[in-house]
Amino acid sequence: MARSLIVGLAVCLMTGPGWAQNLNAPDNRTVLGADEFLSAGADAIRMGRYDDGIRLTQIGLSRAPRHGDRAAALSNLCAAHAAKGEADIAIDYCTESLELNARNWRAYSNRSYAYYLKGMYPEARSDLDSAEALAPDARQVAAIKGLINEQVLQPRVIMEDHQ
Amino acid sequence: MLAVSDAAEANRRGAPRVDPVGTWRCVVYGHPSLGDERRLFRFGDDGSVATAPAVETARSWVPLASWQADKHAFTFNDPRTGRRFEADLRRKTLGGTWRTASLLGGWWCDAIADDGALAEGEAIRAVAPMPPLIPERMATPYYPRQAIREAKQGRVVTCFFVDAEGLIVNPQIVELSDEVFRAPTLEALERSRYRSWTAGVESRPGCRSFIYRLDAANSDSSN
Repeated sequence: MARSLIVGLAVCLMTGPGWAQNLNAPDNRTVLGADEFLSAGADAIRMGRYDDGIRLTQIGLSRAPRHGDRAAALSNLCAAHAAKGEADIAIDYCTESLELNARNWRAYSNRSYAYYLKGMYPEARSDLDSAEALAPDARQVAAIKGLINEQVLQPRVIMEDHQ
Repeated sequence: MLAVSDAAEANRRGAPRVDPVGTWRCVVYGHPSLGDERRLFRFGDDGSVATAPAVETARSWVPLASWQADKHAFTFNDPRTGRRFEADLRRKTLGGTWRTASLLGGWWCDAIADDGALAEGEAIRAVAPMPPLIPERMATPYYPRQAIREAKQGRVVTCFFVDAEGLIVNPQIVELSDEVFRAPTLEALERSRYRSWTAGVESRPGCRSFIYRLDAANSDSSN
């Protein structure tokens, strides 16, 4: 339960207008384009069906998506693999996403979570700072920051009597 | 179960509850360089204020500047130290903060009967003794997980009475830097106690500071 909640907070999925198509509408195309697979992949990841989401997103990527969509899809693959605990794979996808779009706060946030999973807390903090600079109010950023703080901060209480 | 009150509760009560006139046995605390003091304060109904150290060798009262009361705000000054004392009369007892231009501290008092028939020095010595507070169990509060997540540090000062059994009675939060630290502080006080005493003192005031700190743990990046 706790892990799914963490994943739910850490996974930031990119969706855009191009992926919001109504799949039930009449469509005279005979071949599904990249958008449909990427949209379906994003939905699957959002619902926790990570393997399906990865598979559908990979199909979408193979069909030459637009530049921006490609960056978003790579970020989603990063999120899905991070949710599965596959931090190294996640980091690679997020890095590739950021090379296409360096202002993608979700990719920074997802990669931060992946670094957290590996115990690489300075790297996680660095990515989190980048995410926060781009999206100061993002809940995922605050949540990951909390996870890191629990690992890197040592609490103590000093008591003194006055009499 | 400890009955707790604090300034928020006092505000809810509204009207002043403490009559400052009389003799009080007090703990005055603050900057570490000043240490803690045990002092007697006497507030007259004519506005007079006098103080004496709460030690058996004390001989006479030292007059201070007159006290003032405006609704529930009670103040007086100590010209010797430059300290301005303030109290909220809506609390259950007399106590509050003192400040100078650069320092801040607190004070907490227990009302005592003052036998006016005794000579001044005898009267002081009769009420001065305060048994030392020797911790028998000093419970450490837990650090709230949410505070760690949010990297929150803080300070809480509580003042209370200790009865002859060593039990902490009527704790009040005097300073609270963040609400998140209230519950663990009070819970730790509930688990704490002092060594009992047999001297003829029913209770005495005391205060305890809790400083919540977060240090950077040693952590190496691992792959």
